[in-house]
Amino acid sequence: MRKLTSLDDLIGFRERVTSERQLKAETPTLVVCAGTGGQASGSNDILRIIKRHILEQGLGDKIELRITGCQGFCEMDPFILVEPGLHLYPRLKMEDVPKVIEAALGGYIEKDLIYSEPQVGTMFHSQRDIPFFKKQTRTILGKNQLLDPIRIFNYIERDGYAALERVLSKADPDWIIEEIKASGLRGRGGAGFPTGRKWELARASGDDHQPKYVVCNCDEGDPGAYMDRSLLEGNPHAILEGMLIAGIAIGAVHGIIYVRSEYPLAIKHTMIALRQARELGLLGTDILDSGLDFDIEIVRGAGAFVCGEETALIRSVEGFMGEPRQRPPFPIAKGIDGCPTCINNVETLANIPVIINRGAAEYAKVGAPGNTGTKIFSLVGKIRDTGLVEVPLGMKIGEVVHDIGGGPPGKARIKAVQTGGPSGGCIPAERFDLPVDFDSLKEAGSIMGSGGMIVMDEDTCMVDVAKYFMNFLKEESCGKCFTCRKGTQRMHEILEDITEGRGTLDHLTLLEELAIVVRDTSMCGLGQSAANPVLSTLRYFRHEYERHIIDKRCDAFVCKNLVGPPCQSACPVGTEAWRYVAHITRGEYEDAYQVIREANPFPSVCARACDHACEQRCRAGTSGGDPIAIRALKRFITDRIDPSAYIPVREDWKDGDPPRVAVVGAGPAGLTTAHYLSLKGHQVTVFEAEPEPGGMLYCAIPEYRLPREVIKKEIDTLLDNNINIVCNTTLGKDFTIDSLFEDGFGAVMLALGAHKSRPLGLDNEDVPGVYPSIEFLKAFNLRGEQLAKGRVGVIGGGNSAIDAARTALRQRDVESVTILYRRTRAEMPAFEEEVEAALQEGITIDTLISPTAIKTTSGLFSHLECVRNRLGEPDSSGRRRPVLIEGSEHVIELDTLIVAISEDSGVDSITPARSGGVEVTDWNTVKVDSKTLLTSRPGVFGAGDVVTGPNTIIDAIADGKKAAVMIDLFIRGKELVQPADSLLPIVHIEPVDVDEEEAGADRVETPRASIEWRKRNFAEVEVGLSMQEATREARRCLRCDLEFAERMTQSDKVAGGHAE
Amino acid sequence: MIELTINGIDISVEPSTTLLEAAQFLGLPIPTLCHMEGLTPYGACRLCVVEVGDPPNSRLVTSCTYPAEEGLRVRTASTRVVRARKMIVELLLASCPQSKTIQDIAAAMEVRQQRFRQENEDCILCGRCVRMCSEQMMAGAIGFTGRGQDRSIGTPFESTSEVCRLCGGCMYVCPVCELRCTYNEPEKAICGGCANLAPPCVEKPQYDDMMCYMQPCVACEIKKD
Repeated sequence: MRKLTSLDDLIGFRERVTSERQLKAETPTLVVCAGTGGQASGSNDILRIIKRHILEQGLGDKIELRITGCQGFCEMDPFILVEPGLHLYPRLKMEDVPKVIEAALGGYIEKDLIYSEPQVGTMFHSQRDIPFFKKQTRTILGKNQLLDPIRIFNYIERDGYAALERVLSKADPDWIIEEIKASGLRGRGGAGFPTGRKWELARASGDDHQPKYVVCNCDEGDPGAYMDRSLLEGNPHAILEGMLIAGIAIGAVHGIIYVRSEYPLAIKHTMIALRQARELGLLGTDILDSGLDFDIEIVRGAGAFVCGEETALIRSVEGFMGEPRQRPPFPIAKGIDGCPTCINNVETLANIPVIINRGAAEYAKVGAPGNTGTKIFSLVGKIRDTGLVEVPLGMKIGEVVHDIGGGPPGKARIKAVQTGGPSGGCIPAERFDLPVDFDSLKEAGSIMGSGGMIVMDEDTCMVDVAKYFMNFLKEESCGKCFTCRKGTQRMHEILEDITEGRGTLDHLTLLEELAIVVRDTSMCGLGQSAANPVLSTLRYFRHEYERHIIDKRCDAFVCKNLVGPPCQSACPVGTEAWRYVAHITRGEYEDAYQVIREANPFPSVCARACDHACEQRCRAGTSGGDPIAIRALKRFITDRIDPSAYIPVREDWKDGDPPRVAVVGAGPAGLTTAHYLSLKGHQVTVFEAEPEPGGMLYCAIPEYRLPREVIKKEIDTLLDNNINIVCNTTLGKDFTIDSLFEDGFGAVMLALGAHKSRPLGLDNEDVPGVYPSIEFLKAFNLRGEQLAKGRVGVIGGGNSAIDAARTALRQRDVESVTILYRRTRAEMPAFEEEVEAALQEGITIDTLISPTAIKTTSGLFSHLECVRNRLGEPDSSGRRRPVLIEGSEHVIELDTLIVAISEDSGVDSITPARSGGVEVTDWNTVKVDSKTLLTSRPGVFGAGDVVTGPNTIIDAIADGKKAAVMIDLFIRGKELVQPADSLLPIVHIEPVDVDEEEAGADRVETPRASIEWRKRNFAEVEVGLSMQEATREARRCLRCDLEFAERMTQSDKVAGGHAE
Repeated sequence: MIELTINGIDISVEPSTTLLEAAQFLGLPIPTLCHMEGLTPYGACRLCVVEVGDPPNSRLVTSCTYPAEEGLRVRTASTRVVRARKMIVELLLASCPQSKTIQDIAAAMEVRQQRFRQENEDCILCGRCVRMCSEQMMAGAIGFTGRGQDRSIGTPFESTSEVCRLCGGCMYVCPVCELRCTYNEPEKAICGGCANLAPPCVEKPQYDDMMCYMQPCVACEIKKD
């Protein structure tokens, strides 16, 4: 390259280069991202294939190839972007590349490979329309896709060094500083100090014989942040230009780029850029005949996060160990070797040419007052579209996470976002309407930092997050300040204690006090912000800490010592699923039954109708395979072993006459309480309004899922001399809470259940032909009435809707059944297995539809007016709200309508409760203290669906067990406290030898009756497993309990007791 | 001369006087550990912190290193300062309970116990020995090595030093090992007074034939079993 010797030379050179590019503007160009992330995803292979294809086919003058740095759409790497149409082909495999090349040459779009939005499916032909890009303002990052970083010509073609031209032609350093000040640019490294002001101070500082330094800080230490790397790799000349202008502005001749050694590609590209800039005469002495000198050298970091801090960086540049020192004096006054030093972040410097080229006033229009311009964030973690995004400051966090990032990748709800890396804090989902700017984030307890944004969901434990960041800071602290060194160490120690089950509430107080002192007394930013992860998680997620300490539970299933084997931990009653599965592998079926029954009084019922939370957490399933079919294995055992094999431990009541307890409601919650109280010697009377006990088990769950004989047999086993069930007796009509106490009952338990369907709230809901789902099911289950006729419509998406639909299908006069749900299939709360079974049986599911009016003909229900929906913004539960589509009104003709939108306890049950002095809520449930299950009236307890609203059977059983403990304590006059029990296994069961083939086998298919046979009757659809199938399935278990076996003492292993 | 206010008292000092010197001139008590007259201030132990500035922008700085500024308002015993000092003392006790110097500071601040897991270290990395060796004894044989938890005092690459003259200055200035106490139950809370027995020199082999400065001490006459 010929050296440019004057400003006009540069201007002329630019014109030539730009006009040459114009000639090629319409040539199809393949743009491939080869930043570090892109290369790691396989873009090198893509490039190899492209180059070979072009050479072999002789396409050299028909198609261009541009290799760029990181473009930010990292989730979709490796991708090819085809210009000029901006067609994006994501996640390419090597064999697809020739198709893309052909499409580019032919000027058409390869529809199989073009970008389509994940989870939604819409295709986007132009990069500009893709939601990820649409809302961004890619002023800085957008340049990366337009140029090859190792070709200075590319940079110059795209207005490169035009800002330098302007600066040189003005020849007025003060003008530069005024422009930067007017633009409002604030440092992008984290602290947000106004850059113009920093340059002004730097210009004024020092005396004439001291050289000044301009330093670019690229020691990006935050885990998860890679914005600066992408800028330096992808567009190093922008940084060089920024530094040049900085040098001219403050009067410096030396520039230093401090890069961490973990960025070899950035270093390589910067070295090439420096060489080319020097060759062209843009760096060195007497630049372009202006009389100005400026050159830049690269200094590498040596692996210390603390060297990102100004004063530590200066020490490192000087050749010493990176250690901060007290400020004042600031680096502007005394920096490298005691000389004035102006340190700016990479992104700050990249903004400088933009400001000079556009003008400060234009630049300041983007962003928010006091926070002008854009910022690049690395959006990573539990988010669908991970990558780098550039947005104007002031955009709401929610917009960045949902509109640009695409929301969560799976079903787990997003819980929080960590901004600013280990020095920052978390912002909970409730505050996602916060704008992203320096001041708002600080006020919320976090910092902007260098721009890391880590998204966390329900499966992230916030205590574990604090521990992780504290571990990082502990490792990276330089160690000079006693409080930072020891403080981070001790904070980590305390967090470790909490996550391993040794936490106490005093620890929380100590943690907070220590965090505040570390923040106050540390010398540099590392220590001063070390408290942030701890203090912000304590501020917004204190309940998680308390859960870990008081209940010894980790709800995100992360802290191993508090979870134990996940199947046991996930079960509301703590069934040791691993234990009975292990027994099955050894053929010990009676032992397996004992394990099941010990925790659960309704094993046969749950074996058929439980929602098996254990399977959802099974490690065999979460690590890429299929979860163990635990429920089917439970059914295998309960089908084989008679309930009489289990003999519970009974106590007689000592101390006079046994106390009497009244339980209202003979559902799973009520019967469980009655059973466990009777084991302790109480006399229990259970009052039931319906003619048969069993609650929803009997009234609502259909026979083909749960045969009546199974329920009856299980209930009969639980009954004994202490329990008396009185049916056809209703609270409010036949007795009241007051009358129960008058009769001499020592305590009352309300287990009324959520047995009334909620109405839609439309007119005509009470005409013949329209039935609330629970009434419809009860009519059939209790009285054998077949209310469904002809074409049946079921409104709702939960289990009750599916139950009603499948029951209706089996009724005599029914032609067809359609389920109408207002959201999409993915949001339906019903069990996945049930929905699939319904579809198999021929039930249609119509989604994104809502009813607006119920119409009759001659007083009978005849048709339903509906509208179509689309999904809108997420509501407080995280699910997207249905929004009706104008003009989509239509009519569906039906003969029967079943309303199954939700259930509650109904006004009829809640009113007598309220008049008995029990506090109720606006949505017809009973209020109880979550720890003691006491209602507002002393001696009256509440458990099950009447408290929680419609919930699962096993949750009702768990509530029932807890209520029994509490009522027993209450009657004995003791404090209502149940200490937390450990979930770690204390029994060791010798594992069987399993070979690889067995371990890798597929999950067993639960045998079901054929479709045709099913529809004709109400016999049970599911069939049990054979012994061979059960043993094979059980042997797939990964035995997560054995991990804890080492901690057991020899005596535990021999004794074989178990936790209670 | 620079005019500033400490605890409400106006004082006028020479330039480059530190806040600690100014406060000590006024007779205000500020505890220190890593500070020593004759050595350059380092600012490692953080005990001497004082509050400067006006709320809400006030901050804590180490008075031993902070130079006096015109018009500065300083408070040496505000709530924030006292709270910080007490926690620092707790952390010190949690690491080196047997140092009489640390125990005396704790007793003066009425800290009776520490709430962390007890460790028994013999160095708080205050840097006095490093500065003594390089600034007063002009040898520079020892320095800081490592970072964070692994930070320690040692010779370059842990090799035997050729410049160490065995002067004992490093031990002389060490606040932890100069006066040690061993009580019956190290896990329990601190005691007020102590006898000094078993100084660390007995443990370290290279000091076996050194000239001992500690008086009265009969440790070398106590043979290890």
